Amino acid sequence: MATPSSIVAGARRKLGAGPPRYSAAGLVRKGLSGDSWPRVWRDVELKSSYDVVIIGGGVHGLATAYYLATNHGITDVAVLDKAYLGSGGSGRNTAIVRSNYLTPEGVAFYDRSLTLYNTMATDLNLNVMFSERGHMTLAHTDGALRTMNWRAEVNKLQGIDSSVIDPTEVGKLAPSLDVSGDSRYPILGALYHPPGGTIRHDAVVWGYARGADHRGVEMHQKTEVLDILCEGGSGPDGKGPGGRVTGVRTSRGDISAPIVVNCTAGWASLISDMAGVKLPIHTRPLQAAVTEPVKVFLPTVVVSGSLHVYVSQTDRGELVFGASVDPFNNYNVGGSLEFTEELAGHVLELMPGISKMRLLRQWAGLCDMTPDYSPVMGDTDVDGFYVDVGWGTYGFKAGPVSGEAMAEAIATRAMPKIIAPFHISRFATGELVGEKGAAAVGH
Amino acid sequence: MLNPLGLLRTATTAPGVRRLDTPQPGEVIDRDTSVRFTFNGARLTGHEGDTIASALMGNGIRVVSRSMKYHRPRGYLTADIWDPNGALQVGDEPNVRSAHRLLTDGMAISTQNVWPSLDLDVKAANGLVSRFLTAGFYYKTFMKPAALWPYYEKVLATFAPGGTVDLDTPHGEFDKRYAHPDVLIAGAGPAGMAAAVAAADEGASVMLVETEHELGGHLRWGDEAELAAAAELIHAVRSRPEIEVLTDATVTGRYEDNWCAISQRTHTHVAERLIKARAKVLVVAPGLIERPYVFAGNDKPGVMTAGAVRRLVNMYGVQPGDRAVVFTANTHGDAAADDLERIGVPVQRVDARAGERIAEATGPDAGVAGVTLVDGRTIEADLLVTAVGWTAPTSLLNMAGDRPVYDRATARFFGSAEIDNVLTTGGIAGDGTVTELVGHGSATGRLAARRAAVIGAHLRAATVWAAPVDTTPPATLPADDRSPLGRDAHPELFRSTTHGIVDYSEDVGSKDLVAAATEGYDSIELLKRYTTATMGPAQGKLETVNTAAVLAEARGERIEDVGTTVWRPPFVPVSLGALAGRVFEPTRVSSIQPWHEANGATPILAGQWIRPEHYGDPAAEVLATRAGVGIIDVTPLGKLDLRGPDVPKLLEQLYTNKWQKLPVGGVRYGLMCAEDGVVMDDGVTARLGDEHYLMTTTSSGAASVWEWAEMWLQTEHPDWQVHVTPVTTAYTSINVAGPKSRELVGRLCDDVDLSPEAFAYMQVRTGTVAGVADCVMWRIGFTGELSYELHVPAGHGLHVWERLLAEGADLGVRPFGLEAQRIMRLEKGHFIVGQDTDGLTKAPSTGLESLIKLDKDDFAGKPELAWALSPEALASAPRVVAIQPDDPTIVPDEACQIVGGETTEILGRITSSRMSPTLGRSICLGQVVPTLAAPGTKLTVLLVDGRRVPATVMEHHAHYDPEGARLRV
Repeated sequence: MATPSSIVAGARRKLGAGPPRYSAAGLVRKGLSGDSWPRVWRDVELKSSYDVVIIGGGVHGLATAYYLATNHGITDVAVLDKAYLGSGGSGRNTAIVRSNYLTPEGVAFYDRSLTLYNTMATDLNLNVMFSERGHMTLAHTDGALRTMNWRAEVNKLQGIDSSVIDPTEVGKLAPSLDVSGDSRYPILGALYHPPGGTIRHDAVVWGYARGADHRGVEMHQKTEVLDILCEGGSGPDGKGPGGRVTGVRTSRGDISAPIVVNCTAGWASLISDMAGVKLPIHTRPLQAAVTEPVKVFLPTVVVSGSLHVYVSQTDRGELVFGASVDPFNNYNVGGSLEFTEELAGHVLELMPGISKMRLLRQWAGLCDMTPDYSPVMGDTDVDGFYVDVGWGTYGFKAGPVSGEAMAEAIATRAMPKIIAPFHISRFATGELVGEKGAAAVGH
Repeated sequence: MLNPLGLLRTATTAPGVRRLDTPQPGEVIDRDTSVRFTFNGARLTGHEGDTIASALMGNGIRVVSRSMKYHRPRGYLTADIWDPNGALQVGDEPNVRSAHRLLTDGMAISTQNVWPSLDLDVKAANGLVSRFLTAGFYYKTFMKPAALWPYYEKVLATFAPGGTVDLDTPHGEFDKRYAHPDVLIAGAGPAGMAAAVAAADEGASVMLVETEHELGGHLRWGDEAELAAAAELIHAVRSRPEIEVLTDATVTGRYEDNWCAISQRTHTHVAERLIKARAKVLVVAPGLIERPYVFAGNDKPGVMTAGAVRRLVNMYGVQPGDRAVVFTANTHGDAAADDLERIGVPVQRVDARAGERIAEATGPDAGVAGVTLVDGRTIEADLLVTAVGWTAPTSLLNMAGDRPVYDRATARFFGSAEIDNVLTTGGIAGDGTVTELVGHGSATGRLAARRAAVIGAHLRAATVWAAPVDTTPPATLPADDRSPLGRDAHPELFRSTTHGIVDYSEDVGSKDLVAAATEGYDSIELLKRYTTATMGPAQGKLETVNTAAVLAEARGERIEDVGTTVWRPPFVPVSLGALAGRVFEPTRVSSIQPWHEANGATPILAGQWIRPEHYGDPAAEVLATRAGVGIIDVTPLGKLDLRGPDVPKLLEQLYTNKWQKLPVGGVRYGLMCAEDGVVMDDGVTARLGDEHYLMTTTSSGAASVWEWAEMWLQTEHPDWQVHVTPVTTAYTSINVAGPKSRELVGRLCDDVDLSPEAFAYMQVRTGTVAGVADCVMWRIGFTGELSYELHVPAGHGLHVWERLLAEGADLGVRPFGLEAQRIMRLEKGHFIVGQDTDGLTKAPSTGLESLIKLDKDDFAGKPELAWALSPEALASAPRVVAIQPDDPTIVPDEACQIVGGETTEILGRITSSRMSPTLGRSICLGQVVPTLAAPGTKLTVLLVDGRRVPATVMEHHAHYDPEGARLRV
């Protein structure tokens, strides 16, 4: 047997050696030869300077890095994460994607994201297991049904496949749902969105990291940003409006960089504070839970805004549940008993037949909420300091298109039209944007 | 010729597995009983006291399941609740822990993860190509052609492990219970039991929770002395009324402030019950979980932990094999060997302490036939027992904020943090003889009780209504004066020189973990996510430490540097039924509901309320009201009683308009906006007295407006003197509408002057109606007619309703429902928040700009509304307008889009639409872009069926009586 440390060392890959492609044939070759695959991303020394430093190794940060390298040829980029890649919201969300939003801006944005998710497996040569299984938002009141009709009519005009179906059709698509009309909040219909679905969220993280790595971007885990270095600003230490970024101080030393991008969630306001940029963000936990696996019986994503629950069944057979954000601000991701009780009650209201399934694990992620339920994206009053934050409960859905647009904003020094409404200046003018009408109905 | 299916066929029974003829000392089964059950259709019998596992093995069955990915035959490994191979379907219940669940008469038990059957499983063919199916292989393939992925996915999904949900399973009733023990003890081994007794001696109330079916912990499968010690402790516990004992129950979660969840699985009346306990002190004493060993063939049936063997032999009289190899590193393994020899099974001991190591379990997939040692020796055996150490189940400590620390000398993790109200004892805290464990448990129980007394005294002192406390409770908790338990040295034994399974339920091997680490998934969390190791039903209790050890080995690091994944609740899975409990969601009806039901009302669900939609003919109800008088039950209308000198300040804060000058007896309409300027609610508020107001909200906004008001009072303005009391259900509300309403109300009320001069539109009075005092009478209305809204003390609502109908018979009084009211309000052009406005509609879009008073100091949404009222903002904000289709017979569906001619450009939408019985034509409200808001503008409405029809913007929101003359008579 080889000495343990050499197992890993032997597989280190030099950049430029050419990324081996993942394929069935490759699996067979490796299986026969017993060779190991090279590292998914390189393990390299942290340098003292980069063209761009991205804080946060989640889907937003990695997608930004990937598109900087792929679309704009900017490859001297470091992505820093205080823990491991995908340790934040990217690995804690319930991995639902859809594009049946309400405003034209929302539809354009998420439809682009869905398009990128759709081709991601081939683009990144890593199977992110996008499961286009359909997405159903249930209506339990005539008011909710009216909103569904509205969304359907808007989506129809925008060319998005989304329509209102009656309880019988709901029952056919998901036989586990109680469509008898006898329940406390009977299912009166649903907005059905066939292109919506789920995706393996970790695979998205790894795919972007691997793709960015192939183009020269460096991923540095366990590298916590302790401060953002600035000069010329109106605040203490040269931070704040009018100044410019010169680098970051990390748990592994200082790094100089003319451009620093805040792609964090949960700590976005604290990180921005380090540059003297104030964000109107409240942080709240969003809880989720998963059951033990059972044979697959739920083929679509089911969302109920009235009952504050969304549920899908993974290919592994587990039911994955999410709900609404906790009602007060805090940074605790320990989860609460009340959450599991309410969740179970609401789920059984929808699917009375699964009372003997067991809850296996609960967890929480942190959501940065803005006053208008819309993100904060683009440059700031501190030159070179960019933000892609404030994603509330739906950052994962928007990851690809955000990365694409942020990369363009950084490379061209101009805000792409698709994210222009999300600029931080709106909080000063009062010109808030809102997909609240859509965000309020959840996932 | 080789039969290819022959490779996949497996014998499920083994000759060496059987029930012993002679009872064993610690036996818990009743051999005089016979319990019938079926296993995969075969009729079998067991005994009372048997678990499903012991009954199956008592019948000679060794293979009970198939593994998740390779469908390899599996037998019991740990023979307890954590057994990764023992999940079976029992009737309509999936994933039953068969080594824990007691056998009951008539059970229909089947294996879950097999196709077509346990002995012949075609998917076992995966095992033949396992070298290509390394962990995470699916991330690397099935990408091209993309069109085929949905089919690949369907195939992958058929590999989902677990049982089958019967969707017709009745919900059942799972009531919950609350408990407030001084001391909650998780685990009733010797230390836990001793802690319970000692805490009770100190006067504490104790709840003792044990996962197994009887108290005793590891003493239950021990020798005569241990059994005697257990009996003595059990007697001490059972004789103390202060100790509530729960068996077959588990503390599943510890949340903030020692809020603990307990799952009670055996209960007389319910399948599983959730107990929610606020424990002053939690004692964590779950013992230790025996860790499997990683080596080639370690998942073959016949490989078992020493604990499994001891339980099966000593408690259930089951012989697990004919010839045994016992690989032992500790006295526990030695005892298992002794047990086997005692029942006549020849044992070959392989002593890890002497440097001996096993390398491989050999033999067919169906079970072990021999064992190969690292030194090359081979031994014939059908049973391979491992005793390589323990894992401390530190979950509850983690949930309390602790992070476990690895102790190399004992080869296991220990808690590291000192937590005031969470103490540990027993195996999780250290090692010792029974006497030492009892001693530590007693000390822990005493400390827990003393701390609980101080914590309780502080709680009482902080509770103003409690009896005065004699003495001030001490400022600090009693110090931890316990002598710690010892820690017995134990060799580090995780993996042999060969590779084997690490996570049995996920079918993940050490080779998979090394490959994944090599690829860069080299932190414990990434490794878990990539390989799915530790993600299965045991949530890492058996696998986490071995996973960490294999990763540490691959990286050339130490286990303490690798760490573990985070343990999260619940400690054992809890059924959704138990978590949900009984559905307590109220269904609200007004006090008039019996009359509605008796008189043919069609019900409609409106949020929490059920109310009449109509009584058969909504159009006739409209016409009767407009011509004479109608009455409607509007009880769901939200009502908040506001009292105190600072009520006007609160109203100024919540509403966009001004309230300081509202006189007593006056009523004012107000618009409420959220911080983003979006309309959140509207309604009228009356001033009933100097410091007494009554606010109404929309029916759906009743709860959220109350929360909103409390949010401002409690977090922003705690100095304001205002009491807000929700009184929605304290009143039954009846609106009497129509030109003859004054006459009708006048017949029932003689203490309020109803003349228009004395009681004008938008005024409020308090009076007696139909003999009922303290009714609040409002001159307001949603219908556009002269109307009086009567808020009657709820108990008298039906009486007043019936009197109105009786007294108004000659006036043609008629009840009307929600639908008629909706028609009339639409005729009158009143918008409904949430229907004609939405989550994006800011106040200026409603046409009520005049109600937004930017010269007020502050109000919710002011900064945003200031911007929203700027010319540039108004130039892009949609407007609520009245719309009439040019063809008066066309009623566009609500939500129909208003588009630019033949294009798909969205310019607005219809938000409300009805055929007006009063006007004989269709009427609508809608939202349009500002450029189309001018009266007379021609619109194109896209109907749901695809037709595009012309419509016109009307001058007023009101289609009917725009001047309001009918209201003010």
